Amino acid sequence: MAMSTRASVEAATRGKIDGNKRDRIELTPGQIALYAILIAYAIFSLLPFVFAILSSFKPEAEVLAQPPTLFPQHLTLQNYKDVLQSQEFPFPNYILNSLIYAVATAALNVVLGAMAGYAFGRMQFPGKNVLFAMTLAVLMIPPSLIMIPKFLVANSLGLVNNLGALIIPAAVTPTSVFLMTQFLKTLPRELEESAVIDGASRFRTFWQIIFPLIRPAMITVAIFQFQGAWNDFMWPLLVMADKDKYTLTVGLTFFKGVHFTQFGLLLAGAAINTAPLVVIFFIFQRYFMRGISTSGLAGR
Amino acid sequence: MQQAVRMPKSRRRFRLKPLQVREALAAYGFLAPYLVIVTVFMLIATVTALYLSFFYVNFGFTEPIWYGLRNYQIIWYDLTHNGDFGNSLVNAVKYTVGVVVVQTILALALALLLNSKVRGRGIFRTAFYLPALTSSVAISLIFIWLYNTGGALNWVLGLVGIPPQPWLNNPTTALPAIMALNIWTTAPTFMLVYLAALQDIPDTLFEAARIDGANTWNIIRHITIPLLRPTTFVVVALGTIGAFQVFDQVYVMQGTDCGPLRSTCTPVLIIYDTAFKSSLMGLACAEAIVLFIVIFTLTILQRRFIDANIQY
Repeated sequence: MAMSTRASVEAATRGKIDGNKRDRIELTPGQIALYAILIAYAIFSLLPFVFAILSSFKPEAEVLAQPPTLFPQHLTLQNYKDVLQSQEFPFPNYILNSLIYAVATAALNVVLGAMAGYAFGRMQFPGKNVLFAMTLAVLMIPPSLIMIPKFLVANSLGLVNNLGALIIPAAVTPTSVFLMTQFLKTLPRELEESAVIDGASRFRTFWQIIFPLIRPAMITVAIFQFQGAWNDFMWPLLVMADKDKYTLTVGLTFFKGVHFTQFGLLLAGAAINTAPLVVIFFIFQRYFMRGISTSGLAGR
Repeated sequence: MQQAVRMPKSRRRFRLKPLQVREALAAYGFLAPYLVIVTVFMLIATVTALYLSFFYVNFGFTEPIWYGLRNYQIIWYDLTHNGDFGNSLVNAVKYTVGVVVVQTILALALALLLNSKVRGRGIFRTAFYLPALTSSVAISLIFIWLYNTGGALNWVLGLVGIPPQPWLNNPTTALPAIMALNIWTTAPTFMLVYLAALQDIPDTLFEAARIDGANTWNIIRHITIPLLRPTTFVVVALGTIGAFQVFDQVYVMQGTDCGPLRSTCTPVLIIYDTAFKSSLMGLACAEAIVLFIVIFTLTILQRRFIDANIQY
């Protein structure tokens, strides 16, 4: 409701600006300054990526050329070949491990997060307020505080050096539960009332009526968790001990050599790590924005 | 006698109808996976951190030995004798103040710019957000290359006559170099938080101010910024919690040796080192508890100064 009002207001103002856009943009010095600042910051924020990605297609000698050129003089895929065919570090394995970690935890968070969010958002039961307050409190626990005991707990459960060590602790996070609860609260109460009166169990109501309706929240939770797991560095670094078990982020750190660094490989690796998220971001942009504004309000 | 009369009454208050029992069972069924995981990996882990901080734990070699307050005494000695952990806390304070102040102002400024009637707002928002999307490891790798003595940053500075600097190998620039990349990646996320808050402020407030003859700057200073105080608290608090625990960027760019003259040592790096290099899990837990107390105190103080007495 609020969203649609805002959208229509935006549409209206946009129409107004479109009507006399020429004079507006060219005549006010304030507008010119505004766009100059916005464009300057956009360049500032994009240039390192564009430059890095273009440079990942340069031969090693050109990567640190002075003066630097934006576009490769001799276009090559050699850096990517070297990364993916490295004898020392099995990068295809790392990419696969990262993908499994990201996809599995995203799927689990959607299902388990929706279940918990359904209980918190739409059911009455003793202990609900205490448990929801606990969820908010847990959101505030600094990861560094529990990094070591979490490792020890995982270790005693055999969750070390295998994919379970990555997936199980992150199968349903307080953030996902919070996002789901906030979304489920907004659905109209009548949705399941008739089903409950007809005698359908809560589980059937959830799976058949509610679950299909929460697609926006599911996408938000899924991409948040995918991004978190795909970019995660500290936990895989702690629990994955063998060289072939690393995730992509952990594997990438070996490009920074002790004595010298092969910058071409380093940039190709960074590009491989970044590309999937950029694609996902462009497809699901508005879900990213919504997730951030919802979770940013958690602290209030 | 009195007891016997009261008992059934109070019991009745807590007794649930069969339907409510079914509802409660179903709710706990839905919550079960979440409660198990949170209990095992967060609550038990938190309690274990506190518990182990009183033990000598040489991981993988010996059983935990009761140590009393020895771990905390070791930290106290370190703090009072200019040790690594104390040094890392000083670095974290410098790092956090620099990062949080700049990124909060930047996030607010960008949000205000985008909230004015701009065409192509979505495109700018996307462009600004891209650094926040990428992993800390990939960003750190890209910046190792940009900061290199023969790298692009030095070339650009060379154009205005500044000689090349070894940014990551100089003790005075190593930490600020990491701060800069942290600000660049985190500010856009908080910009989105500010943008969401700005859209919740009713337009009537601005219209009233405009009718009273206020200019844009006055409106921002006297209406927008005061109204955004709860959001500013969130942005500053989350920023502080994040910056104080910086790990990935420092680990990738400087390794666990903490950079030139240990200038980039941060508390989490020291905790990692204590736990996994020295295998002293008990001491590492005690360090984590001290770090937690520092962060918690800072957040409470911020709440007092920023979030106090807001009235609309």
